[in-house]
Amino acid sequence: MARLSIEHLRKVYGEFTAVDDCSIDIAEGEFLVLLGPSGCGKTTTLRMVAGFIQPTAGKITIGERDVTNLPPWKRNCGLVFQSYALFPHMTVAENVAFGLEMRKVAPADRAARVAEALRLVQLTGFDERYPRQLSGGQQQRVALARALAMEPDVLLLDEPLSNLDAKLRLEVRVQIRDLQRKLGLTTIMVTHDQEEALTMADRLVVMEKGKVRQIGTQRELYEKPADRFVAGFIGRSAFLDGAMAQAGHFRSGGGLDIRCNAPASGPATLALRPERLAIGAEAESCANRFPARVEHVSYLGALLDIDVRLTEQDRILLQLPNRQGAAEPKPGDMITIGWAEDAGLVYPREP
Amino acid sequence: MLVVPATIFVAIGLIGPIAILFRYSLNQFIPGQFMVDGLTIENYVKFFTDAFYLNVLWRTVRVAVVCTIVCLIMGFPLAYVLARTESRFKNLLIMLVVLPLFVGNAVRAAGWMTAFGSKGALNASLMGLGVIDQPLEIMFTETAVIIGIIAVNLPFMVLTLQSVIEGINRNVEEAAFSLGAGPAAMFRRVLWPLAMPGILAGTILTFILAMNAYATPVLLGGPKFQTMGPLVYGQFAQQNNWPFGGAISFILMTATLLLTIAANLIVQRRYR
Ligand SMILES: Nc1ncnc2c1ncn2[C@@H]1O[C@H](COP(=O)(O)OP(=O)(O)OP(=O)(O)O)[C@@H](O)[C@H]1O
Ligand SMILES: [Mg+2]
Repeated sequence: MARLSIEHLRKVYGEFTAVDDCSIDIAEGEFLVLLGPSGCGKTTTLRMVAGFIQPTAGKITIGERDVTNLPPWKRNCGLVFQSYALFPHMTVAENVAFGLEMRKVAPADRAARVAEALRLVQLTGFDERYPRQLSGGQQQRVALARALAMEPDVLLLDEPLSNLDAKLRLEVRVQIRDLQRKLGLTTIMVTHDQEEALTMADRLVVMEKGKVRQIGTQRELYEKPADRFVAGFIGRSAFLDGAMAQAGHFRSGGGLDIRCNAPASGPATLALRPERLAIGAEAESCANRFPARVEHVSYLGALLDIDVRLTEQDRILLQLPNRQGAAEPKPGDMITIGWAEDAGLVYPREP
Repeated sequence: MLVVPATIFVAIGLIGPIAILFRYSLNQFIPGQFMVDGLTIENYVKFFTDAFYLNVLWRTVRVAVVCTIVCLIMGFPLAYVLARTESRFKNLLIMLVVLPLFVGNAVRAAGWMTAFGSKGALNASLMGLGVIDQPLEIMFTETAVIIGIIAVNLPFMVLTLQSVIEGINRNVEEAAFSLGAGPAAMFRRVLWPLAMPGILAGTILTFILAMNAYATPVLLGGPKFQTMGPLVYGQFAQQNNWPFGGAISFILMTATLLLTIAANLIVQRRYR
């Protein structure tokens, strides 16, 4: 196990910058998740760490070793592919033993380590099967065992769960996480499933258009998003466009004067988390209180999603717990909504 | 039902002539009388007791084996590059590989003749560069024939291998690399075994083509360089000895088949 550091990593394809000045430090034993919309450069970053893509610029260090210019086979990165990439002509045991064989581990020791790796992923007894005789979930676990058996310095997972059905995904997710903890593996996982990212990660990296937007824990990303993109990407936010007319006062496009903790600046966007909004009597004590018209109500079981309109230009999404039996707002109702001064996060307006 | 027409065609077009040929090979040949119906193995005895004919068979096998091995060694890297390239010009590259096949064997062999002749392009340039001062004797040698056949067969090998390599997931190679296998180990343990069906198909194809080559040995080997293909033709067309021609054809066919099967068995035993 080792720490991993990525410094000012860049990858340029012709005119197109796939990864732009990406710096990430991963502590020993940490589980880091790369999250971002499709095409933002997650896979490219991961493959540069694994050594399959030569970075245009930047430096990658594993432990004390600068691996930037090492070929993949000298990096000791365990890699699990979305497509599993098992060797179809080898049995499960041969697949798992492959990395050990390449490292010239004595055949006698190999068997024990293969058995141990298969035990970790709960596939004891599957040694003699070929990959085509396994289910998707089992293949996935063989791929994991194969990467673990060689005791990698870092474990790299590229959307390892996306080919599994929803139920299996939950199971394997927990398994991977438990194993990672137990073995203290330094791990980077790529995913675009937010829930997966939030449940598995120690820290997350949010990327967009090749750039790192924010690195932090789940709580930091949710409660203190660094910019408007992160506020919209992690969890849900209601956005109001307007301007910071003076310190502490946000003026919305529809002319509302909203109290918030931010200095004066130019055009800005106010982001509100749905659960920070109160309605009716609960709104009475809030610094910001506005009458609103209910536009639309969606029933989501435990929650009700409510679209409300404050003015012609200002619309907000509320999320209320579904208290069964209590009166529910209906479209057309006038209600009062409110939020605290510190609930609104202000970001410079982005195009 | 749909396989019926093809089956009938194969039966009539392939098995028919072979059966007739086999029947002829058991007939007697009496000069002046063309062919006398009979049931004799004297044609086969004649072949296997005459050092000349055995030598021709041995030479044919040798040339075919060398050609096949060289085609495999040269074809694999080429096929790999073609299969893995992400270049926009991929189709163009494939066309370039196939291009030689647009020219008939005879025309191509004529081209080689001008290149290999003692005053040909190769000797002229080598002598011009001062590498040699006597022209190399390439024309009418085994080397010329081998080069000629390789040039004909290489595209078949490359195309066969390419389609199989394309079917091997690139990730599997990368998995091997990430597990610590260098390029040589990856090739030996992953790429080669997975490409085995293509390697078998390609080598069988080129071997059969090389065993049966006609125009290339005739034109590049000259009259004294006999291989089985021209020998068969000579018996039919020049000597008018159909029974012996039939016997030689049958020996050629059987030898090709046996060697192919033997090679297959060896390979399959080694790779699972
Ligand atoms: N070989 C290449 N040549 C040119 N552009 C490329 C190449 N490989 C990737 N890209 C571009 O780089 C960008 C980042 O690709 P990457 O595969 O890293 O995205 P990703 O974040 O993994 O997306 P996804 O979630 O869809 O897998 C994409 O816009 C892609 O089009
Ligand atoms: Mg990707």
